[in-house]
Amino acid sequence: MNGIHDLGGMHGMGPVDPETAEPIFHADWERRLFAMWMAAFACGIYDDNEFRHAIERMAPAEYLTTSYYEHWLIAMEQLMIEKGQFDATELAAAWPNASEGAA
Amino acid sequence: MQVLKAEDAVALFMTGGSARIDTNVTPKFKVGDTVVARNINPAGHTRLPRYLRGKQGTVHKVHGVFGFPDTMAHGQGETPQNVYSVRFTAQEVWGTDASPRDSLYIDMWDDYLDPA
Repeated sequence: MNGIHDLGGMHGMGPVDPETAEPIFHADWERRLFAMWMAAFACGIYDDNEFRHAIERMAPAEYLTTSYYEHWLIAMEQLMIEKGQFDATELAAAWPNASEGAA
Repeated sequence: MQVLKAEDAVALFMTGGSARIDTNVTPKFKVGDTVVARNINPAGHTRLPRYLRGKQGTVHKVHGVFGFPDTMAHGQGETPQNVYSVRFTAQEVWGTDASPRDSLYIDMWDDYLDPA
């Protein structure tokens, strides 16, 4: 799809500014999300092409204002709903119980 | 349902997994062939960047057979086909203002290419 993810050749995005001493994860939730992604992938719930397309389907403004692993989170939530692992109501009910300290 | 066991996780992450498909598909192109990226604009997933559509390049390397993202992303099967590293000069992609010394090497599936 001709979406905002296909940035090649666009102007106005600012310089590429890589972090020095970039950590693998910037927060513990990213580490847990990475593990959940791999586990669900290994179970065959989705393939990586479906996952990439789920990121592409994000609203353009949301895509541009969220981080790399936020893209993963939003796409994974969408895919898990579409694959019948949980529904939107269950997800909304679970969020208030989420905390950075949860293992 | 298959599961990823904790004791297998480290090995999987450290070695990765190949997306190569072990089947013979005759490649449509060979190294040195001049090709043109198709002007396709699918509403679904594609790995063909917009800035390459209609551009001419040269096959640099034949990678072998892989699944086709455009069908795999939509549950339409692997559509196994050859993937190539195709060289596009910066001037072909961005015009004569671009450096004559620069090129892009982009992985391209057979279904993204026509003969030039």
